[in-house]
Amino acid sequence: MTAASFAQRAHPVRSRIPARVAILVACATVLCALALASVALGSSGMSLQRVLSAILGTGERSDTIIIWSLRMPRLAMAGLSGLALALAGFALQRATRNPLASPSVLGIVDGAALGVVVFLFLFSNDANALTVSIQWQPLAAVLGALGFAGLVILLAARTGAPPLRVILYGVALGALAKAGVTLFIVDGPVHRASQAAMWLAGSVYQARWADVQVLAIVLGVLVPLVFLLARRMDQLQLDELSAQATGLPVRATQLMLFALAATLTAAAVSFAGAIGFVGLVAPHAARLMLGGRAGVQALGAALIGAAIVIAADLAVRVLFAPLEVPAGAVTAVIGAPYFLFILIRAGRVHA
Amino acid sequence: MPRYLPHAILIAVIALLAIISLHVGIRFTPSAEVWRALSQGGDDQAALIVNTLRVPRTAVALIVGGALGLAGLLLQTATRNPLAEPGLLGVNAGAGFAVVLLVVFTGTGSLSLIALAACLGALLCGLLVFSLAFSAGGISSPSYLLLAGVTIAALLSSGIQIVIVADERTMEELIFWLSGGFADRDAELLYLAAPVVVLVAAACRFLAPTLDALMTDDTTAEALGVPVLKVRMTVLVLAAILAGVSVSVAGPVAFIGLAAPHLARLSGFPGHRQLVPLSLLAGSALALAADIAARFIIYPSEAPVGVLLAVVGVPMLLYLLQRKRLGATA
Repeated sequence: MTAASFAQRAHPVRSRIPARVAILVACATVLCALALASVALGSSGMSLQRVLSAILGTGERSDTIIIWSLRMPRLAMAGLSGLALALAGFALQRATRNPLASPSVLGIVDGAALGVVVFLFLFSNDANALTVSIQWQPLAAVLGALGFAGLVILLAARTGAPPLRVILYGVALGALAKAGVTLFIVDGPVHRASQAAMWLAGSVYQARWADVQVLAIVLGVLVPLVFLLARRMDQLQLDELSAQATGLPVRATQLMLFALAATLTAAAVSFAGAIGFVGLVAPHAARLMLGGRAGVQALGAALIGAAIVIAADLAVRVLFAPLEVPAGAVTAVIGAPYFLFILIRAGRVHA
Repeated sequence: MPRYLPHAILIAVIALLAIISLHVGIRFTPSAEVWRALSQGGDDQAALIVNTLRVPRTAVALIVGGALGLAGLLLQTATRNPLAEPGLLGVNAGAGFAVVLLVVFTGTGSLSLIALAACLGALLCGLLVFSLAFSAGGISSPSYLLLAGVTIAALLSSGIQIVIVADERTMEELIFWLSGGFADRDAELLYLAAPVVVLVAAACRFLAPTLDALMTDDTTAEALGVPVLKVRMTVLVLAAILAGVSVSVAGPVAFIGLAAPHLARLSGFPGHRQLVPLSLLAGSALALAADIAARFIIYPSEAPVGVLLAVVGVPMLLYLLQRKRLGATA
């Protein structure tokens, strides 16, 4: 390649940096607009002015209560869980070098759910009350998620399986975890069963500030770790030998990313339930729109993931009110066709 | 080995399991009482339990299990893919979705309409998954077929969730039906289902030489005079009928269709003349065994039979996935 063509190639890359910033700003703007709409719309619609004055604390008392104690925690929960799932999917796609990877197809979401129902089963007394603090629930979800992520890794490593097979291991293990969840729900107290069914479908309907707080703290630790690993994720995009040649401990990095993704997934699942396909779609959207370095893409994926879950929650409220359709059902309706699309494309490239 | 030894063994196992199934539950019913209930009826507690609970669920398990086992064999043959099965390919989900749509939007309770909708849904979904997998990597590639099927199933179950909450009247009933199992099912549908299963099984037995030829490869099959595409479509239609009928009776039940044909192949017979009846019988036996185990695993509650089947089916699926013979690339 000549110097001239290098210069030609280099130039558009440099000029695209402001474009990336513009796209990120656009994503953030869409996110804010969705957030405002999500706060304004509900069983009683509010004008933008009323919303803003209520947020600032100068509005009517009833508005302030509706917004601060009902709609804001729900919004925050939707945004944070979307962000966590998107980053988890991003880390998994980078760790496995597989565009089909995501927390839900790899069975990690179901593993986390299994952790939660086992926790509820083990630590409930006869009166259906928990014998330990509910604060431990996220830890149970993390253990479940790490366990199932570990199983997928073990199976994949043992057979040196091709990428698609790894996804199928995830699907199969996910089915097993789902069976376990069903068993514990059936065996558990009845009123908790209906609650669990709602939660499993992925819903931010009953979000409370206390939960949002815990999730925010957990993410405050985990999210910086994703960005610390961004440079390694760039190296990992190379083939295995080249990645090693750049001085990257490949296996260790993959394991770290897997563990990080499992923890992020568990954090989201333990509060918002199994919201599927966000972790698949958001990283793809970020890559298509932004390209470039992993750090930038991760930021974009996080914004898009948050926006998707907020939009899905908004959609179920506007379209199906007063019925409470789980937000996870909407994300699946969007995400599943997209998965099929990339599956077919992967197949064509392979052929 | 005598030709009909595996058949005889399976029939003996089924008979034994059916007898056990009539005796056990939350309460054990002694043989004398079971026999009296079966022969004379009556309305004491033991007779009611046997005649209204245990006989129907045993019959449902027998017929639905057989139908699913055979449907699995047909799908595995049509795709030359050892992982094909109505649950994993989303065929069951298609049947379930069609029934939910029918019931929610028309409110019909007509059993034959429901069965018809289930068959149509199964067929459409099967065609969709086949064509998706075909445009990706070919239907014999286990990964593409399964991933397409699993994703379509996930999509349809979300669709079901959305449709179902919109109609609270039928919600409880539908949720129970969708949980998939053999207990407390509408046994009246069996009068429709049983003849259909027998007819399809007879047709498969008749098609056996063609199915054997289909198992080779497209070129060889064509050379043997088998119109590959036509036969594939016929087989898919037959499998969809079986899956649709069994879903309309028992809801979606996975993994029997995966396990039964592999169990049948353990007999060592490669030909469909034997595999068709053997898969049918193995499916019945598996369904009965799972249904009996479901009554005890979290006694005194009853476990969903789908859980037990997943516990058996998933390790089997993982084992099949690990086998080198599946092809190294996909």
